[in-house]
Amino acid sequence: MTQTSLSTFLLAGPELTLVVAALVAYLGGAFCGLRQGWLVALIGIAAAACWPGMGLEAGSVVSSGPFTFDDFAVFVRSFVLLAGAGLALVQAGDQFRAAVTPRNTPRGNGTCEEAGTFLLLLAGLSLVASANDLVLLFAGLELVSIPTYILLALKRTDAQGQEASLKYFFLSLVASALFLYGLACLYGIGGSTSLAEIGTRLRSGDGRIVATAQTLLPVAVGMMIGGIAFRLAAVPMHFYAPDVYEGAGPGNAALLSTLPKVAGIVVLLRLLALGTGGTLGMIALNQGVVGPAGAAWLTFFWQLTAVLAALTMTVGNVMALLQTNLRRLLACSSIAHAGYLLVGVAAAAAADSTIGGRPFPGPDTSWTAALGGASATLFYLAAYVAATIGVFGALAYLGHRWPEWSAGSAPRPPREEVATIDDLDGLSGTNPVVAFSLATFLLSLAGIPPLPGFWGKLSLAMAALQVDWTAKATPGSRRVFFLALAVILVINAAIAAAYYLRIVAAMYFRSAKRGVQADGGLGAGIAMLAALVVMAMVTLQPRPLFSAAARAGASIAAPSTIGGFPPTPPQAVAAPQALIQP
Amino acid sequence: MNPFSPANHLLLVILTPLVGALAAWLLGSRGVSAVRQSAAVTTLITLAGAVLLILRALPEVTAGHAFAVSEGPWLVDGPFDIRFSLGLDGLSIWLFGLSALLSVTAVMVSWEAIKEKPVGFYILLLVLESAMLGVFAARDVILFYVFFEFTLVPLFFLIGIWGHDDRRRAAVKFFIYTLAGSVLAFLGLLTIVLWNASHTGTLSFDIATLTTGLAAHPLPMDAQGGWLQWWVFLALFAGFAVKVPIVPFHTWLPLAHVEAPTGGSVDLAGVLLKIGIYGFLRFSLPMLPEATAAAAPWILGLGVVGILYGALVALAQTDLKRLIAYSSVSHMGYCVMGIAALEPVAVEGATLQLINHGLSAAGLFALVGMIYERYHTRSIANLGGIAARAPWLAFMFLLFTFSSIGLPGLNGFVGEFMVLLGSFQRAWGGVAAEWRTPYLTMAVASVAGVVLGAWYMLWAVERVFFGASRQPPAHDHADHGHAAPSAAEHGADGGHGGHGGHGHSHAAAEPTDDLRWYEWVALAPLALFVLWIGLFPATFLGPSAVAVRTAMAPGAAAFAARMGAPHDASLPQTAQADAATILPGAAIVPSDPPLTAGLERIP
Repeated sequence: MTQTSLSTFLLAGPELTLVVAALVAYLGGAFCGLRQGWLVALIGIAAAACWPGMGLEAGSVVSSGPFTFDDFAVFVRSFVLLAGAGLALVQAGDQFRAAVTPRNTPRGNGTCEEAGTFLLLLAGLSLVASANDLVLLFAGLELVSIPTYILLALKRTDAQGQEASLKYFFLSLVASALFLYGLACLYGIGGSTSLAEIGTRLRSGDGRIVATAQTLLPVAVGMMIGGIAFRLAAVPMHFYAPDVYEGAGPGNAALLSTLPKVAGIVVLLRLLALGTGGTLGMIALNQGVVGPAGAAWLTFFWQLTAVLAALTMTVGNVMALLQTNLRRLLACSSIAHAGYLLVGVAAAAAADSTIGGRPFPGPDTSWTAALGGASATLFYLAAYVAATIGVFGALAYLGHRWPEWSAGSAPRPPREEVATIDDLDGLSGTNPVVAFSLATFLLSLAGIPPLPGFWGKLSLAMAALQVDWTAKATPGSRRVFFLALAVILVINAAIAAAYYLRIVAAMYFRSAKRGVQADGGLGAGIAMLAALVVMAMVTLQPRPLFSAAARAGASIAAPSTIGGFPPTPPQAVAAPQALIQP
Repeated sequence: MNPFSPANHLLLVILTPLVGALAAWLLGSRGVSAVRQSAAVTTLITLAGAVLLILRALPEVTAGHAFAVSEGPWLVDGPFDIRFSLGLDGLSIWLFGLSALLSVTAVMVSWEAIKEKPVGFYILLLVLESAMLGVFAARDVILFYVFFEFTLVPLFFLIGIWGHDDRRRAAVKFFIYTLAGSVLAFLGLLTIVLWNASHTGTLSFDIATLTTGLAAHPLPMDAQGGWLQWWVFLALFAGFAVKVPIVPFHTWLPLAHVEAPTGGSVDLAGVLLKIGIYGFLRFSLPMLPEATAAAAPWILGLGVVGILYGALVALAQTDLKRLIAYSSVSHMGYCVMGIAALEPVAVEGATLQLINHGLSAAGLFALVGMIYERYHTRSIANLGGIAARAPWLAFMFLLFTFSSIGLPGLNGFVGEFMVLLGSFQRAWGGVAAEWRTPYLTMAVASVAGVVLGAWYMLWAVERVFFGASRQPPAHDHADHGHAAPSAAEHGADGGHGGHGGHGHSHAAAEPTDDLRWYEWVALAPLALFVLWIGLFPATFLGPSAVAVRTAMAPGAAAFAARMGAPHDASLPQTAQADAATILPGAAIVPSDPPLTAGLERIP
């Protein structure tokens, strides 16, 4: 059993800061007439980022109570705060401008509630990354889901928005139930809610565990991945995405296409580490040993994720080819990107399921962990999220089209949002900066070098290619499977370029018909430019992000494949009260 | 650190266009003439820098070493040992120079043609130049791929924004086709990297390291190893064959060429098509020799099909630009044939033919652009008698036409001759008996391409430059320099000149439509090199000979082991006897090592 103490809460400081900021927003909005909810959100995020000890010493692992803080958790947490700041800016839209010029402030109805809910969502996501306990994992995941329902319902009150939020709500409930069922099975196998404990037992080779695992493991893995597939918008739980994104505003679509996916990938990688050990294995002091149950866990894991990855990439891209509505198109493209991410997850599970067999013989293995699927997934996730926030920031900034309305003709038609590709016609002439930014983001999503998306696809392809590298490529073998997966990945990248280019072509090759108002607010514009700066930095120097992703990925990979990277092998650092109970 | 060290010099040459692009952007508010002047100055400085660099590099490169090698850090102390590593060697040196040269042409031919959004145009042209220079200078696989793909982006916008009527479709088709091929090539390159890493223990992306690594540990070419070499070869082939383009992967090319603005066509035909062949020489031949040898007959066949198909389709064209686009398909077929023959003289000829085609196709596209700018039509039926009104323009067109169809004394002859010579050598003595007939058939058939090439080009020249004048009168450039005039403008322009009787009225006109100064700047250097290569090919063959033969040696050896015949003494030896008596350049430099050495068959 684990104990919880004050020091544990100190470790969770950033999350607590977010929660406090959320309370300030809620209470201030309700009782003090506070209207700049999103400003509070940004301040809260900044405060959370300033928390001392946010970034642990590289390579150290602190485990306390239901938490594990390792490089992975730190990476995800910093990443979530950065992405959260961007999303808050996109969401802020008009409100941010209102904060600058208070005179024009509209009735700040709901902005504080939205901002507070959003902060809770970020806190939940950050908790998921550092969860070392099934209960905390599920609670964190629900803390991501529930605010999402609220945000979807708060923002849009028209019929389409209602449909989107209801659809998301019901399907998400089903997904949560599936996931919970999977967790129950996992508990049944491991006999504990502690992830470290379950992992230890899975890998122990205990006869009873193996016997239970034989029946329960497939159910557990299948249920959990099925539930997570909804968060990722991966096949077969992908079909809701276009409708929901279309119904949600640009801000919420940005949120939906990033944060739930981050949550899903984080949970998948954490669960995968049950088989490989990772930093949890370090703590449990039995690294490098995988019993039959642990191997079976990883095998189910990679088989399921690899199949889903191949389907998801292809289905998402083919669906996207048919879209004319921008948000539907981006929804389909986000399905495809979930598929790319799953390639990395599958590679991580497969590469590490034969513990002890390094992928490459030879003296210099410093890069083996960095080449692994987990690192590649995290790098790709960062590149994807930055570009997606940028795209939706740009769309939010563009706001509405100019109506086809002249002073003489009555009545004035309703304002129309920028919704279809045609609405972007000639944007390079009317809004050159937005057009340039959008083109950069889209080309990065398409994976055109030297943009970050290219580096991400490079690492994913490397991760997939190196699975079972030394094994013979016989038909039906795992190696051939992953070679095929790599081929599907790059072919999909080429298919995806077709629809991204359609948008770019509309912006640059056609002339403007009506033009856009660019009334979406300063915040969205700032988010777009910030994303552009991030893209430029990673483009010119991808090294820091690579290194960070490699370190974080090493927390997931099996200890024996970590090799010499990170430079100092991870070791269990005594927390204020190190509380590890095998 | 020496700021003028070769490595810095090379880096400077590659970065200069980017600096120029920045300057063009800053000068944007000063109007079109400031922008185009800055672009012209930039390309000229780049060219001067490239020429100096080549002069510095020649001794080293001729000896077969790489020059100006830099090992800049990029991801080097991260997990991926990817370096910003540059350098020139015999394979790349002339293509590097060609990129710098044709960029000047591309800017000059756009001088009056581009009036809309000139800032963006010249920025993209300069970025494209930087990317082209980078492709040939890259010594790291990933860096090569980054430049390789990045050439697509500026050209996509150049075609899509400043192209002709069907520009959007052309731009997207061009991009998607090339991308679809090159992502597979990318996977092939990664597999090579991983294979090398798994045998040497270091994850290196350095092309030279990979070449030696794969020579020591070739990729498996048998069922035991899963035919891995074959698969990697096919993946690379997908990327490079689309780029060349090898028939049947060529369908993007005519559309892209015809719709592109003249400056884009010059870069596309002159440099970008060469990257495909360069890729074969750089990667496939040295790294995957067995698969190359196994595929060689089929690639040779595709090359011949391309020669004949391109020529036949060109014969049927009514649009002058489209005709030249198809002639590109045909002429690139000789390059494909040359490298697939795996015979030293043929491969050397193919590398020279890359330069030759770069010069002649770029010149012809530039001239078509000039004709279009004057008469607003490219239809052969609507053109005629231009020689009377623009004699120098006609002279230049004729010169590049003769270069293209291989008139002895001009550059095209040398390249095509060497390719054909090598192919016949291969057919006569280099293949096993059962392959002799197919090889001979293919070699003979490719000769027909020369005849067809002369036919369609001379036919077009006769129609366009001689006989009665058919086109509408030329327009003052200052008023009518449109990038893409619409159909309505066509009508208006034709209208005010009057349709009736201008056939006679302009037949004896003063040569007022002749080349302007900027058009001279665009064409004169190309013409100079057309003559230079034609008369002294050894100057250009020499520096690349060692590198080319080193690159092809593994492939040739694998071919000899696979399907080569032991040397047959009964066969006529005339072809090998003394090329020095046949090739003018070789005759002038009798002790020229590359040509004579190139004719020695690798055992």
